[in-house]
Amino acid sequence: MAKRILITDDALFMRVTLKNILTQNGYEVCGEAANGEESVKLYQELKPDIVTMDITMPEMDGITALKEIKKIDPDANVVMCTAMGQKNMVVEAIQSGAKDFIVKPFQPERVLEAIKKLVAA
Amino acid sequence: MKAEFINPIVKGASEVLKTVLQAEAKLGSLSARPTVFTTKEFNVVCGITGSLSGQVIYSFSTDSVNAISKSMLGGLDLETTDELVTSTLAELGNMISGSVSSQLASVGYTCDITPPTIIKGKEVTISTVDIPALVIPLDLPNFGTIELNVSLKDRAVATAAA
Repeated sequence: MAKRILITDDALFMRVTLKNILTQNGYEVCGEAANGEESVKLYQELKPDIVTMDITMPEMDGITALKEIKKIDPDANVVMCTAMGQKNMVVEAIQSGAKDFIVKPFQPERVLEAIKKLVAA
Repeated sequence: MKAEFINPIVKGASEVLKTVLQAEAKLGSLSARPTVFTTKEFNVVCGITGSLSGQVIYSFSTDSVNAISKSMLGGLDLETTDELVTSTLAELGNMISGSVSSQLASVGYTCDITPPTIIKGKEVTISTVDIPALVIPLDLPNFGTIELNVSLKDRAVATAAA
């Protein structure tokens, strides 16, 4: 059965780009969230296998959403996918439970590699 | 605005433009703008907070918007709606801001960025109130000139002066 992925990004462009990469490679995009708050809500409703999470978003940023999701499900697989690549941001995300950290702009292979690692684990 | 911000900004922007558009940005002549100024037709406003505060406004002509969105949406089999084109340019602005923020961090300025705001229209006047803007034009072959309108205040200096 295809792994179910929840995409979180405030940019429509990024949501369609990620959806394209994922569906063309056999994954199912079970939901799309435009901000952290929507992501937390959809996580509870859909229980996806993996979440991709942007950081810079209105309503609720991705680090806060990551923490909220980890409170609901400590085993949640959240992969950060963001334009903010500074070391302190990466450290905070990983310490808050993110399983990987992808910096935009990314090559499709980078996303696929991150997902494959989580699926294999 | 300090000269030491310029190199990280140009470096951050050029790297993203190279990766996303496969285009080499050429730095044009810098100029200063008074606080109220008119811009090209499509503008992506990204707020910067932290040790530097203010914003960067990325200005594009309509021709640039069309060329850039065509390039970035090329691989996708989708109808190019206004909403999608706007989002594409907004995300380009967001990625450049993220990259610039990383470069500024490496020279000692820790900053965060806000989600982008898009302003479209001819002869739009934008006021950055109390911070004059430095205009950094980046010429791209095939994509036209992108203007980076940078209005940043050094918080450390501002606090010391207060």
